[in-house]
Amino acid sequence: MIDKTTNSLLYLNGVSVSFDGFKALNSLSFTVEPGELRAIIGPNGAGKTTMMDIITGKTRPDSGDVYFDGGKIDLTKKDEAEIAQLGIGRKFQKPTVFESHTVWDNLELALNRNRGVFATLFYRLSAEDKNRIEEILTTVRLTHRRDELAANLSHGQKQWLEIGMLLAQEPKLLLVDEPVAGMTDAETAETAILLREIAKTRSVVVVEHDMGFIRDLGVKVTCLAEGSVLAEGSIDFVSSDPKVIENYLGR
Amino acid sequence: MKMSAILLKGRRMYLRPVRILAILLGLILGFATAASSAADDPAALIKALGTANFEQAEAIIADLGKTGDTRIVPALEAFAAGDLYVRKSDSQVFIAKAAGSGFTLIDPVTGASAGEAPKSAITKIKINNSLRRAISSAQGGLTLLSPDKVVRLQAADSVLKSPSAENLELLEAALAKETDRAVKLRMEQARAVSLLSSDRPVDQKRAAIATLQSLGGRDAIGILMTAAPTLDPALKGDLDAAIKKIEGTLALWDAAQNIWYGLSLGSVLLLAAIGLSITFGVMGIINMAHGEMVMLGAYSTFVVQEIIRTKFPGAFDYSLAIALPVAFVVTGAAGLIIERGVIRFLYGRPLETLLATWGVSLVLQQLVRSIFGPTNREVGNPSWMSGSFPLGGMQVTWNRMWIVLFSLTIFLGLLLLMKRSFFGLMMRAVTQNRRMASSMGIRTPWVDAFTFALGSGIAGIAGVALSQIDNVSPNLGQSYIIDSFMVVVFGGVGNLWGTLVGALTLGVLNKFLEPWVGAVLGKILVLVLIILFIQKRPRGLFALKGRAIEA
Amino acid sequence: MITSFFLRALEGRIVAMVAVLLGFAVLVPMSNLLLGPDNPLHVPTYVMSLLGKYLCYALLALALDLVWGYCGILSLGHGAFFSLGGYAMGMYLMRQIGSRGVYGDPILPDFMVFLNWKQLPWFWYGFDMFWFAALMVLVVPGLLAFVFGWFAFRSRVNGVYLSIITQAMTYALLLAFFRNDMGFGGNNGLTDYKDILGFSVQSDGTRSVLFALSAIMLALCLILASAIVRSKFGKVLLGVRDAESRVRFLGFRVENIKLFTFVVSAMMAGIAGALFVPQVGIINPGEFAPANSIEVVIWTAVGGRSTLIGPIIGAVLVNGGKTIFTGVFPEFWLFALGGLFVLVTLFLPKGIVGTVAQALAKRRAAQAAETPTHLNGKPQAAE
Repeated sequence: MIDKTTNSLLYLNGVSVSFDGFKALNSLSFTVEPGELRAIIGPNGAGKTTMMDIITGKTRPDSGDVYFDGGKIDLTKKDEAEIAQLGIGRKFQKPTVFESHTVWDNLELALNRNRGVFATLFYRLSAEDKNRIEEILTTVRLTHRRDELAANLSHGQKQWLEIGMLLAQEPKLLLVDEPVAGMTDAETAETAILLREIAKTRSVVVVEHDMGFIRDLGVKVTCLAEGSVLAEGSIDFVSSDPKVIENYLGR
Repeated sequence: MKMSAILLKGRRMYLRPVRILAILLGLILGFATAASSAADDPAALIKALGTANFEQAEAIIADLGKTGDTRIVPALEAFAAGDLYVRKSDSQVFIAKAAGSGFTLIDPVTGASAGEAPKSAITKIKINNSLRRAISSAQGGLTLLSPDKVVRLQAADSVLKSPSAENLELLEAALAKETDRAVKLRMEQARAVSLLSSDRPVDQKRAAIATLQSLGGRDAIGILMTAAPTLDPALKGDLDAAIKKIEGTLALWDAAQNIWYGLSLGSVLLLAAIGLSITFGVMGIINMAHGEMVMLGAYSTFVVQEIIRTKFPGAFDYSLAIALPVAFVVTGAAGLIIERGVIRFLYGRPLETLLATWGVSLVLQQLVRSIFGPTNREVGNPSWMSGSFPLGGMQVTWNRMWIVLFSLTIFLGLLLLMKRSFFGLMMRAVTQNRRMASSMGIRTPWVDAFTFALGSGIAGIAGVALSQIDNVSPNLGQSYIIDSFMVVVFGGVGNLWGTLVGALTLGVLNKFLEPWVGAVLGKILVLVLIILFIQKRPRGLFALKGRAIEA
Repeated sequence: MITSFFLRALEGRIVAMVAVLLGFAVLVPMSNLLLGPDNPLHVPTYVMSLLGKYLCYALLALALDLVWGYCGILSLGHGAFFSLGGYAMGMYLMRQIGSRGVYGDPILPDFMVFLNWKQLPWFWYGFDMFWFAALMVLVVPGLLAFVFGWFAFRSRVNGVYLSIITQAMTYALLLAFFRNDMGFGGNNGLTDYKDILGFSVQSDGTRSVLFALSAIMLALCLILASAIVRSKFGKVLLGVRDAESRVRFLGFRVENIKLFTFVVSAMMAGIAGALFVPQVGIINPGEFAPANSIEVVIWTAVGGRSTLIGPIIGAVLVNGGKTIFTGVFPEFWLFALGGLFVLVTLFLPKGIVGTVAQALAKRRAAQAAETPTHLNGKPQAAE
């Protein structure tokens, strides 16, 4: 079925999944190229989060193919931990950081090192790892709060910390679910800059409702509705599509 | 008919030569006069009893049976009871009853009084077990003709239990006259039994085997087995087939009985778990004091019965009907207090709720122990809960029967309440979206409180039912709590139907494992199976699936 | 690597508790053996055994804290691991009785003779050797925890479901051990021990050694637990407790993390049971009762969940209270215990240690806020 010569980093073909009769994804096909920054929009229930669940191994598709890294890896056969180790990072809709740990510890845990039980038991922070964490702290603008508990961060800072944790994971592909929800305008603008920076070295998929933010990103947009792709293209192309207007923007 | 001829004919099948010789000897010697007189004259036959030895007496009893004269039944009864005496002076036989220093004599055939006699003037006619059997067989034959339907039925039964070829003709005569269907059926079976030990032709016996097969049961197998050694070899196949067929039916009934036991256990589990399926399933509260609510319900029954016993003893049969609302109110109120006092501070922290309610359960246990004492209290069964009735090849006890019906009624009632009533609507609204429900003007704290009270009240009602089959002690609740959780978790949380199916499945499974591995090991196996099952389907049998379900 | 792993464990509170325990390990037996019974500082043997029992319970509570406090697994079946460890030790002690039993059989324990058994069941082999029994104290609870956890964590049974099935597990074992034909003495369990490693279990000397061992073992397990908790693994563990899916999406195998912790915890519980049995002189199926396991949870909660030293303090306090209470008002003990469950969950969710630590941290933060040199003077929540 699958064209093994594909160069796509992520390749979804005809993916369907239903929950108790409700079709969350309906033959969804979708690709992401290496180094691409892609935005996904769509009304509630369009299947955006379910799609991320499928890519990260949280949910198994009823049918369809999900391949990663140029068709080399079948993601439907892997679980969350394996997929994360393969290089797919995911940021949840609701910021999920370890609130009882400091900012520093959060990043230390996320570092892409051996994650086995005994390796972590006897792990010691090396100078190299230290530098890497410092670097990420600078990137996500949290250096001054490094020793604070994550619980004490503001909402926006938690979002950034989570993005920082994804960076520490050194993924090839980042899935970012509504990164600017609940952020101030200034934070939103900064986040757009941050994501564009990140996308220089890896692929990023951003799910977002904030059209202004998407415009700021200035990238290819995919609009989902009822579990499949409605339209794909530049933001201007997609937002002028009558189907998109009827399904999403018009409401 | 000449008596000797009948004797030889009727007993040929199993009389050994020695016995025949002895009878012949008896016929010739002391018994010649009786034999020469008419063999079907009951008075003469009874008189002959006075001088007969055991062997002869057995033959006479058989002859008496043949007369078909129901007047001699009292004499036979008296003989069996050791009340038949012979007067020394004239060898006349009488039924004698002790009266003062002597005995009153009664004529054995007519039942008329025949004066009195001192103890020294009469001798008891001796009896042994073999004679007793003969008597009961003869009685059976005689009473077959009784005008009373019940007596005839009993007679047919007694022939069925101690068949003998002698009764065959009598049975056939009785059958010809019989009009009542039930009695006729029983008589036909009795005839079939007797026929097997007679010298009737093979095809009649084949028909008899078929009749016995339709009778079924372990008795029929027993009869067929005893008949087997002396039976015509040509019939062996029929016999074996009949036994196999009956055994098959028995196995089916055994299975049915097991299913019934299982359903009965399942309905007990359902009763215990159904309140939990509301508090745990719908509200997500781990109420470890749930078992104590059941216990409180049982103690409410005890208190109600005590009051009735002392104040209105006549109303005892209504005690459970009175206890139901009482238990519901008592445990519902207890639930309300627990929810308002403890649980409402712990919403969203299920593990803490578990610990706090466990504490409540300890307090309640000790409270009941302090008030009512640590020992079992006696809760009586009203008359309509006692006893049992047969259903096909199995026995159904009334209390189990009522509990099955009761638990299903409660289940359906609750289902209706949840799906059709306004309170149910509010309840579902609150559990699905608390904030939305609240902004629509539903007082969510009160819905919580009353939902919890409802779950507790139902546990109390379950306690009323369980007081009928279990010991009412402070530990009553402890023995149900784990099972109840297992049922709810197995069935799938938040789904009443799941609880029903879960409870019945676990009940039946338990009862089917029991004969193989014993009760305790069966229970252990069921627990292990559930543990494994939860690994496979962490959300139970009827779990909702989808993105919305997040731990 | 190993040294740094253990050195990390030695943080203030832990060091203090270890010192206290080691002090006990030395002082209590000394006072029992060296001081005369008239001396006011003399600790009678029965008190020492009682204290030893508390220390075993404390170890059990510590084991529970490792899984509940740091990994979020509320096990309601830890009593099962404790009992299995206890049974392993009890079997060794039974085999030491030899022909001194009532029936005088050199091999078979009394209950087997009573049940008319002709030979030792296979699973009793080896228990005449101490090293084997000691190994089984770790292996049997560890294996049960491994098998149970392997299934449960892989299929992601968690939260209250996990709690309920751990309870079912210990309940099933309770029923099983009550059966005579299981071969563990049925109802009566294993008792009437004579000696351990050749020393009489009744003598003051043996009792003293057992007490000291309980205290030392508890101290060692505390250091081990602290080392685990303070390693990167421990941080992952807390992550699992607070945001399991985040840990998973960071690429950790959550099931292995839980399984490792659960097995280590079960082994600690097994050690506690093994030390418990010679000091109280009996092990019976009643130890498997679900109620016992839940009680362990309240010791932990009273002392303070996720503090490691809290459970130790809680176990000693609650059990000390129980001893006093059941002596004075036996009727009211369940009221007190039940009330404790309710009050602690409602008003003292952090337990004694957690609450004190929080108060101290608050005061420190308040002092820091007064000194203007600290810019980041936000109050820090206690761990």
